Amino acid sequence: MVTFVVLAAVMIVGALGVVLLRQPVHAALSLVGTLLTLAVTYVTLEAHFLAAVQVIVYAGAIMVLFLFVLMLLNVQDVGPRRSLPGLRWAAYATAVVTATAIAAVAFWDGRPAPDPAVVSAHLQGGSAGGIADALFGELLLAFHLVGVLLLTGVVGAVALVQRRAESAFGAPKGTGLPERPGSLPDADDRRSLGSGGRR
Amino acid sequence: MNVPTEAYVALSGVLFAIGALGVLVRRSAIMVFLSVELMLNAANLAIVAYARHWAGFDAMAGLNGQTVVFIVLAVAAAEVAVGLAILIAIFRDRASTDVDGLAEVRL
Repeated sequence: MVTFVVLAAVMIVGALGVVLLRQPVHAALSLVGTLLTLAVTYVTLEAHFLAAVQVIVYAGAIMVLFLFVLMLLNVQDVGPRRSLPGLRWAAYATAVVTATAIAAVAFWDGRPAPDPAVVSAHLQGGSAGGIADALFGELLLAFHLVGVLLLTGVVGAVALVQRRAESAFGAPKGTGLPERPGSLPDADDRRSLGSGGRR
Repeated sequence: MNVPTEAYVALSGVLFAIGALGVLVRRSAIMVFLSVELMLNAANLAIVAYARHWAGFDAMAGLNGQTVVFIVLAVAAAEVAVGLAILIAIFRDRASTDVDGLAEVRL
């Protein structure tokens, strides 16, 4: 129980850091800490393979991608500008009510926990072999669909960030798109790298 | 040692609410995206906790639950790739990722 309380405290502090820290890089690093703590929580839930995957894929690959984009775009924290008065307090109230409601329902409708020995015997420590049995057995269709999804994601990401061929010759007017500053692809390239002072 | 499933689900709810708060109050699109990742991980925590709970009654149910979390991780990776590509495309057009200024991004 002590382990859980410590992990929960660290995780909640990290999550609050994601939301409240002003520097985007600090918030991203706070999320890395939260995800690593979540990996340790997976270990306490007897999901060892998931804990390893969480560290490698989430805290590793995905957060590196986030930090890469953060530094590429050089996002500055813009000053506060409220579009609606009281929106911030409504958001805080929503979060508090949501958290309280979910936690209250979870404890109110609590079920007796099963025997830990049986759980350990059934889960086999959440090993890769057990996960593979499920992934290539009952969930084989989901596995195939994830393959299709990842391929679609890769194609979509490439299609979204590539430059259109006609932009090298000046985009046609009246397409409804905002005109890009700098129609030459070379100038556009350097501009998009976000290295503001070097131009 | 044996922490009840309710405690994990409550923690998951708190994390989800904090993520939702971030989506509502942050104004940079990339910070909104980070908060969405937090919400996804809160849901994953709930699934793993329930997987451990149901493993007490059915061996395959527990492993299936953990495998679903594995699939959610793959979906999250695809989502991050496409989402960050969209962010870069937006940033190229307007040199800002302020979500308040994106009112005209619709069909």
